[in-house]
Amino acid sequence: MKLILDGITVARGEWRCSADGTFLPGIHLVTGRVGSGKTTLARIMAGVLNPLSGQILREGISSCMLCQQFPEYHVTGPTLAKEAESYGIVAEKALDMAGLTGREEEDPFRLSRGELRRFQIACLSLRDWDLIVFDEPFSALDCKEKQKERRRISTLSSRIVIVFTHEQRYLPKTDYLWEMRDGVLSYLGTVPEALPFWETAPVHVRMLLEKGIIPANLTEEDLLEGLCRMQG
Amino acid sequence: MIIIRNLAFRMLCIPELIIPPGSAALIGPNGSGKTTLLRILAGILKPENCSVRINGRYPGECRIGYVNEYPDRNMLFPRVFDEVAAPLRFSRIPCGEISRKVELASERAGLSHLTSRRIHTLSGGEKALVALLSATIQTPEVLILDEFDSHLDDRALDSAEQIISASGAASVIRCTQNMDVASRSGTLVALFGGRIQASGSPHEVFSGLSGTCYVPFGWRAER
Repeated sequence: MKLILDGITVARGEWRCSADGTFLPGIHLVTGRVGSGKTTLARIMAGVLNPLSGQILREGISSCMLCQQFPEYHVTGPTLAKEAESYGIVAEKALDMAGLTGREEEDPFRLSRGELRRFQIACLSLRDWDLIVFDEPFSALDCKEKQKERRRISTLSSRIVIVFTHEQRYLPKTDYLWEMRDGVLSYLGTVPEALPFWETAPVHVRMLLEKGIIPANLTEEDLLEGLCRMQG
Repeated sequence: MIIIRNLAFRMLCIPELIIPPGSAALIGPNGSGKTTLLRILAGILKPENCSVRINGRYPGECRIGYVNEYPDRNMLFPRVFDEVAAPLRFSRIPCGEISRKVELASERAGLSHLTSRRIHTLSGGEKALVALLSATIQTPEVLILDEFDSHLDDRALDSAEQIISASGAASVIRCTQNMDVASRSGTLVALFGGRIQASGSPHEVFSGLSGTCYVPFGWRAER
């Protein structure tokens, strides 16, 4: 099973973005500056946006899902129960997973953004996907929910999981590191070997690297262990 | 000075909250009432039988800049320039002056390259920065920011802080899930389950949250 981006280009006015690469099963982290084209690329990977040129090959991938940056973009149902049903799942399970038990008849737009994000992720999680693309999955979540979510993403490594994020602190255990640089998707390598080459690394990772410490991976525990090493 | 008394609205139950001028951050779990409290302070929600005053006035009597947690929902116009200019146009400021102000503010914020763009082509982070620029274009007395930073990377956050500093707002109240950002505020308010768990300096409030994930990463490492 693999996702191949072959000569993908996107253009919008003077703005250009290009991408080549092969995504194997595992957790892929893609970072880049605001406006670098992360969301555009995520949508192309998920097949909801066509590139200007190039082709996307989904070998052995029979199911695909995009978790969009703004959770409200997913909403199609007038109640949480109807929204869950639109995913083909049992509403009670999604509500329980999201910590919203008993709120079946509530309007999704009455939830806080964090609650809606939790509910959206729960709905996505209750089905199996060969390829799942997360666009800023940690946005709007509180720290406990970010911890839960990054642990859950870490367990999906048998599939192709691509996480686009600028989250600084709560990152999943990552296999492969990618970065948007000057409009080009660059493959940096496996983690932790690729970390020294990561230009948009989170501030705490940068701090460790500047001290010559390479954390074992990117989870909160890995970074804390690195900080402890730094402090001797 | 912001003073709230006897606030019982939806899930919020706040007998008294005093927020001094300067920067303040509101932290707490999803669904704890942060957005509701910010909307009350912005004058968008008006609960009855309580007292909410900003420098002795009702929120609706103050010039308030507000950035929604969903930046899309704040956008009224399809083009960035028009969106940033909107508060000035609604104040019937002459067109020439509006153009000058928008161009100057966009240039200072490093967002000149966005002014001719269509809103729907912006990234999430760019939308948040445009919403912030629009909210600050008319020198608000109070700037209220609802988790807009969740759309920003560290460099964009620096740009946002420059826009906030240049806004001239006497009070900046934000809710955030970024505890490093919260730790740089003068006043910190922790809201859990609709109630004020603690308020005071970041040191005082984070000390009470010791052992939880609400303490900034660097502070946890120091311990």
